[in-house]
Amino acid sequence: MVNEAPSGGLRPEGPVGRRNPMHALPGAGGRAGEWVHRGDRKSVQPRCLSLEKCSGYHYCGTMKFRAKIINKGFIELFIQVSVTIAKLTKVCVLRVCQDKLCFGPTGPRATREARLWCEVSRGAFYQFNMEGVSEELNEIYLELTSEHLPRAVRNAGNAASLKLQLTNKRRPCLTVVVELASRTGHTHVMVHDLPVRVLPRTWWKEYPEPNVQVSDVSVYLPGLRILKSIVERMANMGENVLVEANLNGKMNLSVETDVVSIKSYFKNLGNPPKSALSVTQDRDPETMVQVWVENRKLLQFFEGQQINPTMTLCNILSNTLLHLVLVHEDVSLQYFIPAL
Amino acid sequence: TAAMLKCEMNGSQVKVFGKAIQALSRVSDELWLDPSEKGLALRSMNSSRSAYGCVLFSPVFFQHYQWSTSMKMNDDDRPLNLNCKLGMKSILPIFRCLTSLERNVEKCKIFTRSDKCKVVIQFFCRHGIKRTHNVCFQESQPLQVIFEKNMCNNTLMIQPRLLAEAIVLFTSSQEEVTLAVTPLNVCLKSSSEESMDLTNSVYSEMSVDPDEFDFFQIGLDTEITFCFKELKGMLTFSEAVHVPISIHFDFPGKPMALSIDDMLLEANFILATLADDRSRASSPQSLCLSQTQKRSDLIQSNPKADKSGTSQAPECISRKTAPKRLYSRETPTNNSAGTCGNPPTRRANGASIFEVPESSLSDTDEGPGSPYLRKFSCMFFGAVSSDQQEHSNHPLDSLAIASDSEEDVINGSVSF
Repeated sequence: MVNEAPSGGLRPEGPVGRRNPMHALPGAGGRAGEWVHRGDRKSVQPRCLSLEKCSGYHYCGTMKFRAKIINKGFIELFIQVSVTIAKLTKVCVLRVCQDKLCFGPTGPRATREARLWCEVSRGAFYQFNMEGVSEELNEIYLELTSEHLPRAVRNAGNAASLKLQLTNKRRPCLTVVVELASRTGHTHVMVHDLPVRVLPRTWWKEYPEPNVQVSDVSVYLPGLRILKSIVERMANMGENVLVEANLNGKMNLSVETDVVSIKSYFKNLGNPPKSALSVTQDRDPETMVQVWVENRKLLQFFEGQQINPTMTLCNILSNTLLHLVLVHEDVSLQYFIPAL
Repeated sequence: TAAMLKCEMNGSQVKVFGKAIQALSRVSDELWLDPSEKGLALRSMNSSRSAYGCVLFSPVFFQHYQWSTSMKMNDDDRPLNLNCKLGMKSILPIFRCLTSLERNVEKCKIFTRSDKCKVVIQFFCRHGIKRTHNVCFQESQPLQVIFEKNMCNNTLMIQPRLLAEAIVLFTSSQEEVTLAVTPLNVCLKSSSEESMDLTNSVYSEMSVDPDEFDFFQIGLDTEITFCFKELKGMLTFSEAVHVPISIHFDFPGKPMALSIDDMLLEANFILATLADDRSRASSPQSLCLSQTQKRSDLIQSNPKADKSGTSQAPECISRKTAPKRLYSRETPTNNSAGTCGNPPTRRANGASIFEVPESSLSDTDEGPGSPYLRKFSCMFFGAVSSDQQEHSNHPLDSLAIASDSEEDVINGSVSF
């Protein structure tokens, strides 16, 4: 709940709660009962989180987000997710949807840069309540410094519970509450207020969910540790690496310089079922689909990611895109590396 | 003959000794070895004079302990102590890998003499291996802080393991933390100074139940802000010696003490705390902390202290009027309530004594805005006055720990 004000009544309560009709502004485009007020913020509780203005009035939606994890495995997974995101992008956009949390990068989309997309589905949470900007646009977009999140949760490995909540404490915050049971029977509760910027609706189109393009080949990846060590060695040799795979479960990584070339051959990897792919055409399964990428970007991914996935695969769009996918229980991590 | 120190430890004692050095290394880069009849004191003070640490090992801690002052007298007709200052960079590496030292060292001997300019540390290890380190020292009189922790309104004692468990959740980026206490609640949180300056900083907060403390006495609801790093240093040490850690404090601006005390050793870290705005505004005489909010400026060794005459001098430790002092002192009669001038100087009387400086207004119970604060917001390191400067080569000479104590009364008014 944004700014749990003790005086109730003037604020919508609950997902379909009482609305105060006096504050509905017809034609404002919002739900009845949403707070609309003039520039004088003092007259209203809670404070406006939105950055939009609407004809002299602040359009103000009361957004709500509260989620709690009590399962130890999911807490550890969440810690891993937050560390991964911090390693792959400095500032991230957290998109709170009805059924999941999405983490993506911020900033203008530079086409040459690798991009991250991470989803944590509602299933990981013991409790998950959210109320977006409006009923039609039932989402919340928050921008925050990625590093703050793992710092707040990294010691929560033994926590009894981990709670995330959107709050308003002088400024909008993502409040992380870690509850640790101490040996004496007392619980230690640690509260971290992470400053966030609530992104207005007009900006949402800047942060779209990446659509998985049609790919030419899809193959399961070998063990990540092996891949990482090979990529690390190759990074010492050359800047660019060739990644290729075919429909017979084979994948090669190679790097080449004037002096030396190194190629690693992986076989028997298996391909995801064809029906799950959007394979463009029927081609000879032995044909390798290729893409050249910057080794640095590939390395950054392997060094950054912390999750121990149950499934990993990569999709290659010939000479265009290398798309890595990791899945573990309710978490999926995707990394899009454009071709050189 | 020269002043001398000679002591001997076994493997597990070396580990504790090394842990003390490591804890003191968090305070500053310099370490004083200061032997006396009370034992061997290791002292350290940071350059901004906002943190001071002292670990006193009693003679019974060692397998063997021997010390002496020199036969020579200094200008004040007192025997010269071993004034031995070592660089942390030299001594810390010797006491690294403490677990392996504990395992391998059968005996450790430390020996130094004031005329030798070096400290000899010898490890007699297993398999007949003997390792000798010679560390040069600088001759320098140890600095000391007098602080009577028993006079503090608030005292907390907690098992180090519990405190460590609780503060592990604190993110390490915070340099300063605020401890907020009421009789019902203890809360450790990010310093609001930091949080407000930077719009992108995280605010963290954690509560500890009063029941978790071995001793819990809060006489004054207060919030004090201090450097987290030093707390962690002391906490690590107290975990190593398995002794509960005590925290003594009062109002913001007054130094706080972290201490551990068992039969063999006593450790005290005195930290400056951030004074709050109110006190600064209301007491224009608190020069030493009025200029800036930064902790490092809380203690300003007065730049004019070296000059004689009308220079201002850091306040010295003044007379005590409270009956609960460790050592009774006569109160000079020329001090009267209502004046803050003419405080007598006081010499430190050994490492184990911590006396709180009190103003001549100490009889009145005043809050943080009082003149109380302006005197005690800094740590005061000795008596320097226009009279005394003629006698001392260095403004801090008067801090020398002498086995006998002296009282000097400043005749002129001392303002700071």
